[in-house]
Amino acid sequence: MTPLFIDPDEERYRKTARELIQLFEDHLDESKGELEDAIDELTVADTDYKIVQGLEKLLKDECEFEIVATVEPREIRRRLFEKANDRYPIVRQPTLGEDTQKLEVYSAVADDLGLSLEECYRGMYADLDDNKRLVRVGTRTAEQYASDGDGSTSTTTLTGSSDAEYEHTDLTVDWLLTRYNLALAQAVLYDATEMRIRVWDHFGTVFSYVKLFGLMHRIYPIDADGERVTSTDQAAGYEAVLDGPASLFSQSQKYGIRMANFLPALPLCDRWEMTAEILVDETTGETRRFALDQTEDLDSHYSAGDQFDSDVERTLTQKWERANTDWELVREDDVFDLGAEVMIPDFAIKHPDGRRAILEIVGFWTPEYLDAKLKKIRQVEADNFVLAVSERLDCASEEFGGASDRLLWFKTGGHVYDVVELAEQFAVSPHPSD
Amino acid sequence: MRIEFDDGTLLLQNAPEDVPFAEWDDRVDEYRSQAYRYRSLLEWAGTWTDGDEQATLQDGFAHALEDAARTYPDLDLTPALHIEPRDYQQAALDAWIDHDRRGSVVLPTGSGKTFLGLQAIADAGVSTLVVTPTIDLMNQWHATLANAFGDQLTEPVGVLGGGSHDVTAITVTTYDSAYRYVNEYGDQFGLLVVDEEHHLPAPTYRQIPEMMIAPHRLGLTATYERPDGKHELLEDLLGPVVYREDVDELAGEYLSEYETIHMSVDLTADERSEYDEEYQIYRDYVDSHEFDLWKEDGYAEFLKRTSYDPQGRRALIAKQRAERIARTAEKKLDTLDNLSKRHHDDRAIIFTANNDFAYDISQEFIVPCITHQTKTDERTEILERFRSGEYSMLVTSQVLDEGIDVPAANVGIILSGSASKRQYAQRLGRILRPTDDRDPARLYEIITEDTMETYVSQRRREGVTTSADG
Repeated sequence: MTPLFIDPDEERYRKTARELIQLFEDHLDESKGELEDAIDELTVADTDYKIVQGLEKLLKDECEFEIVATVEPREIRRRLFEKANDRYPIVRQPTLGEDTQKLEVYSAVADDLGLSLEECYRGMYADLDDNKRLVRVGTRTAEQYASDGDGSTSTTTLTGSSDAEYEHTDLTVDWLLTRYNLALAQAVLYDATEMRIRVWDHFGTVFSYVKLFGLMHRIYPIDADGERVTSTDQAAGYEAVLDGPASLFSQSQKYGIRMANFLPALPLCDRWEMTAEILVDETTGETRRFALDQTEDLDSHYSAGDQFDSDVERTLTQKWERANTDWELVREDDVFDLGAEVMIPDFAIKHPDGRRAILEIVGFWTPEYLDAKLKKIRQVEADNFVLAVSERLDCASEEFGGASDRLLWFKTGGHVYDVVELAEQFAVSPHPSD
Repeated sequence: MRIEFDDGTLLLQNAPEDVPFAEWDDRVDEYRSQAYRYRSLLEWAGTWTDGDEQATLQDGFAHALEDAARTYPDLDLTPALHIEPRDYQQAALDAWIDHDRRGSVVLPTGSGKTFLGLQAIADAGVSTLVVTPTIDLMNQWHATLANAFGDQLTEPVGVLGGGSHDVTAITVTTYDSAYRYVNEYGDQFGLLVVDEEHHLPAPTYRQIPEMMIAPHRLGLTATYERPDGKHELLEDLLGPVVYREDVDELAGEYLSEYETIHMSVDLTADERSEYDEEYQIYRDYVDSHEFDLWKEDGYAEFLKRTSYDPQGRRALIAKQRAERIARTAEKKLDTLDNLSKRHHDDRAIIFTANNDFAYDISQEFIVPCITHQTKTDERTEILERFRSGEYSMLVTSQVLDEGIDVPAANVGIILSGSASKRQYAQRLGRILRPTDDRDPARLYEIITEDTMETYVSQRRREGVTTSADG
């Protein structure tokens, strides 16, 4: 199965995209109906109308349409109908018997509500979809996709994310055309029953989005060729099988929307693969395979998040670069599968001789976040998992479960050589592969 | 063991190995079961209670069970109805109660299934989700429920679907919206009512009852059996058929007498030249390609061409534009002027085929308007006011087709309609009632002379004759 991707470099698509973006910008502060009429004109004798409509939808998703009225439109019309009911017949061309009832009804209601005659007339149906005004051509965040996608219950935000990160999307031709291809792939996924992904970088980002969109996972460490390996110490990447709670009982495309919403997280990785089972026949349950990888040149509109969760991490990295040690500090190498979620420790510490430790920095956190973090830490089963914990935190060694012997308490930034010492003590050599 | 509602399923924490209806979920290392097993699990644990009854402990044995799944409230409702239940309705309700408030009732169309639903909701006394196949039916249920229980509820009747997203103790929804959101709200209702339940066995819709914990369930339909045999699934999902009444045991449907008056208008000069121009583009294209448009596959062939042939695309647009000109002809409004002068003391419903035209008329003539865009609660309000006489006119682009929903009018005006036979017959028969014996109800049909509408109107009349005979 392959969607009909378009080539974003082809001039006819670029022209269409340019025209459309221009139309949206020209219609700022005008009604949605007028905008749509103008777009329809583009497709009167154009067999690419499906592409135009697709692009139109994507642009609309980035826009805000608002009801512009000083009084609730429903209130205006309720009063109009009440008043009119005593004055029928209200006609367009009054003859001798009928007066100008229509004008009187509108004026009376306008006066009652303190509106001008025009505000009253226009306000009457200002809440109709066609009459809403285009007020902003902007951008949406992944959280918004999650909340109006299928109402998945997860409201967790990505660690380190802030509003400032989701900067204004410039609606460029390139953005629109690559977004179109991504949307085509998403449309196929709406009927997906299961998704398998393989990623070799950006694990933290990817699994944050898995959680954000309410998907469940089974995770397997893999090597550079994508073959499964036995432990995270040997992992070059991770394979994850994604589905939802009810997938346990029967094949369900209920989670297709969530998978479609998740897809844009994958192009944030430098190397990734995705295969999905797409239900093509509901009655027989026949499925087809849909595969994508980084060679497709899809672009993500999601945020990759901040590289560092905290200043402590950033400082330690900087100090490490200046320090004189054989040990190397690297980010996000291990993914611990904790059932409902994953734990991705901040760093791995590697020695050229193969020894390896996993480091989590427990910096300055709110009590709730600390509780959640401790709960996760207690579930990690790895003897080379060490932690650097801020003394400013209100917690005790016992709360770290099995890791309570592998703690390093620090005052401000943490020192490289203290961490190296911890690594010397607990690092292990990878198991010989069996 | 603790049971918790988790995203449309039940998570069974610390469950014993012999727990029934459950699968081991290796993703979270706990047992999990489908949400609709809620009642069976409670029964197995010996903690199921229904109403005031004591938990029935089998052989003094009970599993310790903490129920963290149920979030639905009890309700104390009495339907404000002005009608006595008919014998078969009472019998159906009794049968359902006898089957522990689970199961299906099969009653013919027009026999008051909604009425039965109201009584079941009051009897079960728990928060309820009503699922219907269409937005129209959802709206009708909303109107009926608001009527019967509105004053007794702390929040208005909820609507999930058709652009609304308000979930309250009594909520109406469509199959599509229910399927989409059931994993979120599946713990909030104690009674599930499924209207036209024969649609439920589709693989997607099936997940609606599966993902709800509701221990009480009521299915309603006139046609229980499905050609594919899948109705057998309904017993597991909703319960067995508890009552069935056949068609001929009920009185035939009441169709009122009315007089039909056909009127025609011309296009204005401007409209005529635009119409002719667009119609010609369409005609030329069709004639040069030899489609037999009066046959289904001929028309399908034409539509197929419009997706790859730019001229075909233009022809399709031309056809749509011509139709639109004919439907919304300026002079129809002049005719409407005359009719509203003649009938301003009557109760009139005006039908149009498109929303824009309905809104134009609503603004021109200051007449309440109902279209597919009208939100359910406003629609209910407008119909209620039309019923009570606060409003005497109504313009609509929608099929208002059930007795319970649409108050009677004695004047109908079709400004432009669809050619579908079924829609037409229902629009007429169910809505028009004479105000008194001397003055019959009247139906006006206004068509535009010398356009495609002339043909459509003829076809429509033939359709009515056929169905009236048969």
